Amino acid sequence: MSIRKSGGARGASSARNAKSTNGARSAGNTRSASSARRTKRLTTASMFAALALIFSYIEFLIPISIGIPGIKLGFANLVIIIALYEMDFRYALAINLVRIGLSGLLFSGVFAMLYSLAGGLTSLLVMALLRKTGRFSMIGVSMAAGVSHNFGQLVVAALVIENAKMFIYFPVLVFSGIAAGIGIGILAAVLDRKVPKQLFR
Amino acid sequence: MNQRPENGKPNTSELTTWQFLRKSIRKADIILFLILLLLGIALAAVSLLGRSRGAEAVIRVNGEVYGNYPLSVNRTITIRRGSQRNVVRIRNGKVSMASASCRNQICVHHKPISETNQSIVCLPNRVSVEIRAAGKEGKIDVYS
Repeated sequence: MSIRKSGGARGASSARNAKSTNGARSAGNTRSASSARRTKRLTTASMFAALALIFSYIEFLIPISIGIPGIKLGFANLVIIIALYEMDFRYALAINLVRIGLSGLLFSGVFAMLYSLAGGLTSLLVMALLRKTGRFSMIGVSMAAGVSHNFGQLVVAALVIENAKMFIYFPVLVFSGIAAGIGIGILAAVLDRKVPKQLFR
Repeated sequence: MNQRPENGKPNTSELTTWQFLRKSIRKADIILFLILLLLGIALAAVSLLGRSRGAEAVIRVNGEVYGNYPLSVNRTITIRRGSQRNVVRIRNGKVSMASASCRNQICVHHKPISETNQSIVCLPNRVSVEIRAAGKEGKIDVYS
């Protein structure tokens, strides 16, 4: 990660140099400036993906079990929701896919990747839609994401096991989704305020 | 927090975290929260009310019925499928997963079940155990 970080800093500083020294060649200047900005966003996105992967790993290491199986806090969504708000839906999607793919291969197994994928895509879609309405705060969006993540996973679980009785778990998963979503939403709202916005420009 | 440069919204950066959070909650958030809460309560009520003492355990592997076992008989059932192995134990009318070859062991930690509408599922091995009242198959499809 440190390599990526220094790479990003180098890209940014070279862009600044280009802007200050050859102001005469404006066409080349804007092209290099926009490519530097793209590089910067790419760097930020890959840092976010690495961060999300670390959160996934922490949750894999320390599963919070309170008697009910399969309940997690969803720390990775902290990263995803900030990426969605500050960058773009496409960036958030890419970060999420990278995280799910890597954590599936590294920690939880390819089969569990299917569930993560279902939950991750459902919740990201719901988050993007709710955000577009403009009526919800980050906390509300995250709450809906928690519930829809569980719903998406449950649908896939019911399909895999070919047994609609899986939905017995749904009430528990609704409550845990609300609780985890609100918790993550509060954290995300606080963090989003503190994160320097230059990171995303 | 005071070191933050203002970025278009000068008055939000002066709020403390707590004030910021209280301000940021919108009406739609609360409505959504209440809707989801009601949904959860309704679903929980349905699944709790539809519950009664079961008579047999149905084990399914990959969605197909592997076998029915009466709860009144204490026994241990070992399910093998390739390298995967699940051991289901019926004792004193309660069913639990004694051991499983899966990685997450969620099914093993699940508490023993004895009432209809309860089930233990081992997703990695695609094994599920559910409790049924004797011979009444029609009663199950409340959720589908």
